[in-house]
Amino acid sequence: MMRATPRFEDVEVGLELPPLVKGPLTTAHLMRWSASMENWHKIHYDRTFAQEHDHLPDLLINGSFKQQFVLQFLKDWAGPKGWPWKSSFQFRAMNKVGETLTVWGRVTGKREMKGYGLVDIDTGVTNEHGVESTPGKAVVVLPYRDGPALPYPFVAEAGA
Amino acid sequence: MTMLTPEILAYVGVSAATEFACDPVEQGAVRRYAQAIMDEDPNYGPDAPTDTPWGGPIAPPLFVNHAIRRPLGAPDIVQERAKDPHFDGTGAPSGGLPPIEPLKGFAVLNGGAEFELYRYARHGERVQVTQRYADITEKTSSKGSMILVTVEAEIRTAENELLLRARRTLIRRPA
Repeated sequence: MMRATPRFEDVEVGLELPPLVKGPLTTAHLMRWSASMENWHKIHYDRTFAQEHDHLPDLLINGSFKQQFVLQFLKDWAGPKGWPWKSSFQFRAMNKVGETLTVWGRVTGKREMKGYGLVDIDTGVTNEHGVESTPGKAVVVLPYRDGPALPYPFVAEAGA
Repeated sequence: MTMLTPEILAYVGVSAATEFACDPVEQGAVRRYAQAIMDEDPNYGPDAPTDTPWGGPIAPPLFVNHAIRRPLGAPDIVQERAKDPHFDGTGAPSGGLPPIEPLKGFAVLNGGAEFELYRYARHGERVQVTQRYADITEKTSSKGSMILVTVEAEIRTAENELLLRARRTLIRRPA
């Protein structure tokens, strides 16, 4: 759920964004996600195939599923007056069915533009053991306290 | 010895004709998607607030990234390969990009992605996707060699408004 949009001036480098927790992610969650986007890759729902054919430790939580969580995390923090502009990440480790995942973010930089501010964020996804699987970076656009509304659709200013 | 042959590299720069999603952004599909990702934001529902920059019901941020589905009557790979014990379930619609034939039979894993968002898709909008193979490289890890395939996509409305740019990395390994 979207929060009230922070104002650029109120965000500080080092700020920890409110985490987003998902899980435990069961086989039903994986099946439901795969069906919703019509992905039939067996490593997400056929345990025999995943373990015996592809030699995986168990069913895997879809990378595409995790990227939804990252974008929700950014969208919810940006709120209706902000904009989750950019997000990138790498799937560096597998997450197995049954895990609980937490999306985290930390502000690493701020850049002032003419009409809005840009907030640089390190993001990640950890499981209940604290193992990081999805390190990434993002840019969220925030309005100034007394500034104009963000352009929507969002098209960045030159130099952004 | 490299796995990256000229036949594989020949796919770099190959693009697909723009493909329209077979369905518009449907309220029911948005509901199922939102429920699947456990993000039941009221902005996705038919009673979405209208005093927002997008002015009404929208789809989740990455909904359009999965816009291309198998239309009715299109070949059904799940049935065609029902008796193949090595079929991994992939081979779903790929937005028109030709499969990389030399990598046929390689396992596929999602290596990561980059997204740049411009606006949310609204309910009822039609979506078009243009994709290309942006890069193909080889990497060696403790688990052996792998091919990294980078696919770039631009996703627009039928009226050519840009919604999303995506750049995803697929990890391909010999099965």
